[in-house]
Amino acid sequence: MKWITARRRHPLAGYVVVILALVVFGVGYTFLAPTADRAEAQQDQAAPERSDGKIDLAQGKEIFAQSCASCHGKNAEGKRVGDTDVPSLIGVGGAAVDFQVSTGRMPSMNADKQMPRKYPAFTQDEIDDLVAFYEDEFGDDGPKVPEEDLVPATAPERNQFPSDHEGEKAFEKAKEEYDEAFASYTSNSDTEAGMKLYLTNCAHCHSWSGAGGALTDGRWAPELHEASPRQLYEAMLTGPGAMPVFNDATVSAEDKQNIIAYVNDLQEEPDAGGPFALGRVGQVAEGFIGWTIGISLIVACAIWITAKQRSHD
Amino acid sequence: MNANEPPKALRGVGNFIDDRFHLAKMGEKNLRKVFPTHWSFMLGEIALYSFIILLLSGVFLTLWFDPSMEHVTYDGSYQRLNGVGMSRAYESTLHLTFDVRGGLFMRQVHHWAALIFVASLVFHMLRVFFTGAFRKPREINWVIGATIFMLATIEGLFGYSLPDDLPSGMGLRILQGVMMSLPLVGTYVSMFLFGGEFPGDLIIPRLYSLHILVIPAVLLALIAAHFMILWHQKHTQYPGAKETEKKNIGAPMFPAFAVKAGGFFFFTFAIIAGLAAFVQINPIHLFGPFSPTSISAGTQPDWYMGFLEGSLRIFPNWFDVNIAGYAIPTAVLVPGLGIMGLVFTGPMVWPFIEAWITGDRRPHNVADRPRNAPTRTGLGVAAITFYGVLWLAGSNDILSHTFSISLYTTTYIFRVAVLVGPVLAFIIAKRICLGLQRRDRETLEHGYESGTIQQLPSGEFIEVHKESSENMVHVLQSKKPLPRIDVDATDENGVESPAKRSIMGRLREGLAHWYTKDNVSFDGVRPNSGHHLHHDGFEDAAEEHDRSETVRTP
Repeated sequence: MKWITARRRHPLAGYVVVILALVVFGVGYTFLAPTADRAEAQQDQAAPERSDGKIDLAQGKEIFAQSCASCHGKNAEGKRVGDTDVPSLIGVGGAAVDFQVSTGRMPSMNADKQMPRKYPAFTQDEIDDLVAFYEDEFGDDGPKVPEEDLVPATAPERNQFPSDHEGEKAFEKAKEEYDEAFASYTSNSDTEAGMKLYLTNCAHCHSWSGAGGALTDGRWAPELHEASPRQLYEAMLTGPGAMPVFNDATVSAEDKQNIIAYVNDLQEEPDAGGPFALGRVGQVAEGFIGWTIGISLIVACAIWITAKQRSHD
Repeated sequence: MNANEPPKALRGVGNFIDDRFHLAKMGEKNLRKVFPTHWSFMLGEIALYSFIILLLSGVFLTLWFDPSMEHVTYDGSYQRLNGVGMSRAYESTLHLTFDVRGGLFMRQVHHWAALIFVASLVFHMLRVFFTGAFRKPREINWVIGATIFMLATIEGLFGYSLPDDLPSGMGLRILQGVMMSLPLVGTYVSMFLFGGEFPGDLIIPRLYSLHILVIPAVLLALIAAHFMILWHQKHTQYPGAKETEKKNIGAPMFPAFAVKAGGFFFFTFAIIAGLAAFVQINPIHLFGPFSPTSISAGTQPDWYMGFLEGSLRIFPNWFDVNIAGYAIPTAVLVPGLGIMGLVFTGPMVWPFIEAWITGDRRPHNVADRPRNAPTRTGLGVAAITFYGVLWLAGSNDILSHTFSISLYTTTYIFRVAVLVGPVLAFIIAKRICLGLQRRDRETLEHGYESGTIQQLPSGEFIEVHKESSENMVHVLQSKKPLPRIDVDATDENGVESPAKRSIMGRLREGLAHWYTKDNVSFDGVRPNSGHHLHHDGFEDAAEEHDRSETVRTP
């Protein structure tokens, strides 16, 4: 107590209290608040595991009826919800369905807003069922999900497998298979072509680092840090949101492969310049750090050394 | 032997030199030169030290960097870009980054030091501005400083353009666009700089010789001049009991100030090196080489060019006109060249404008406290706000993306803020200054609030005021009545002075009135004398007194 009494009138005491309070609230909040990951993981465990690879149209129909039809309509014809015209799904193709659902953008919570990437609400098996049901019911003339032996799907994640030792093994095997498939997919890709295509067609919106950027009219281009090869391929095929369609006539399958290899390079590239990469945002973040940390620390040093001098005068 | 006497051998050499060059006399004078100690007087030193770091790290970079736009195919230890076509400049930068020991570190030191250099120049200029240290006799040194700031910005832009990575080329493209917006001569200027169409293959060698030779040499000369003038005119200082217009109080150059300044160099160096070691800056290997067909979201100039980017982004194209088939792109001309001119030349002419308005031609060696020059302080804060809004507008896409605000909304917000913000900032800053002046007068007259509460015999509680120290009284009394020209004086025959009748005379009179009208007078305030005066009545009387001071009889 004496220690506090002696110091509580110190000029910096107020700041110390505020900083402590912020730290307590910040740390407390991160522990207590349900994060998206945790919530999704709970949901995910409830889903039944099924890995026989068989397509179950009934399951797909059920998912469609429960999670899609309320906004897109029973016959996928689209309708008006609130102030927004929800688009029809006729002709968008299985690739679009797979892209929107596997990136967690659909089912959407708010039809008025652009949806961010989220942890998907369904397992890939369930999404496959949904896509099969969609193509069966509403026609398959739109772009299709690329075959798995052509474009590697999504990298497996640990929590898709049981948490026991067997699950660990199965996960490692799946991971190995995926890495092999990806290596063989990108083995003959051309870095220069990929870079040029990326910088000419993609970087306008998604930025040089794949960090995304602002678009007109309140929309934005999402970051590509987590996009899987299949999702990248499907996005180019279907042009979700404000993105233009790059079908196989515009950007050939081979060029798509080059772009995917380049994006993957960007995703995996370590930061050579130091552990703090500032989110690869670029010059704005650098200037911000230069002022808030660089010059502020130097001025703090100046205050310190002149204050020392003063007390000896 | 006397303990204070140097050894004989040293004495001999010393006497030999001293007999010929009279070094002892010069050393005596200059080593004892006094430097006032306040942290805000160290800001210019940050600029000096980061400039030294820039020179040293820059020399290291020139040993490997090859400013050539010759087309080559990369074949080096950075696997990802193997087989990619690029310019020799970009390739040698990659080589410097990945194959030269310490190369990446030195590149990052150079870049961080550049950001810190310009930031410290701005910080230093603001200190000089707000304390009125640019006034006579220091106007020339202020103009030199403002020129250093301008050259540093241009130097930074050229350095940014050298590695020939994606943002380099985009920065040059904007530079070229601004040049082309010049009526009549724009295309010629562009062709002259680039030696043909954009980008050509000459621009990087040309920028290189400017960046490493011409501009640093001019900067070095200006910094030397800045320093010599400072040495000759002596430093300004804040008011105090002993600090006067005639006498400088502080630490002697040797040993106290030299040790402190030397130590401060290493602080500056440590922080720049720390940033360079831990925080990635300008990762050119991720950007990829420049090609005129490529462009990327989220690419900005370095921070000191941000205000230009911002003014280009928010200025509307409503005023673009065509004259006889020739376009006058005001949407580029005004924000690109107009705003740049305002930011660079505004500070240079300000000392002369202020002297003209106030008619104050006296030399000033004691710095103003910013509150005692409320209009100047208000103008300074307004200028910071104007610059700051433009600067923020330059990052509007990043702000929009990071904080999920619509991009269009940010543009409209900044368009309004750049006009309204400075006005509000001026009014608020000036009111705060005047409030502080009132409090100063209160403190001067009543002493300071001691925090001790006393109960009077009548039961009333009062806070005991204690007498301010002698030094505090001097600080508070340093507030002089604002200098004021008297253009409406009449001569002995009752005729107005000619200066008043001209348009400029009237303008000057109006400006002088605006510049000095709001000010709390300290006239007749005796230090530590007013314990028992009743507050409210006193305030009113003082307000009356102010008005009779400043409003002139017609």
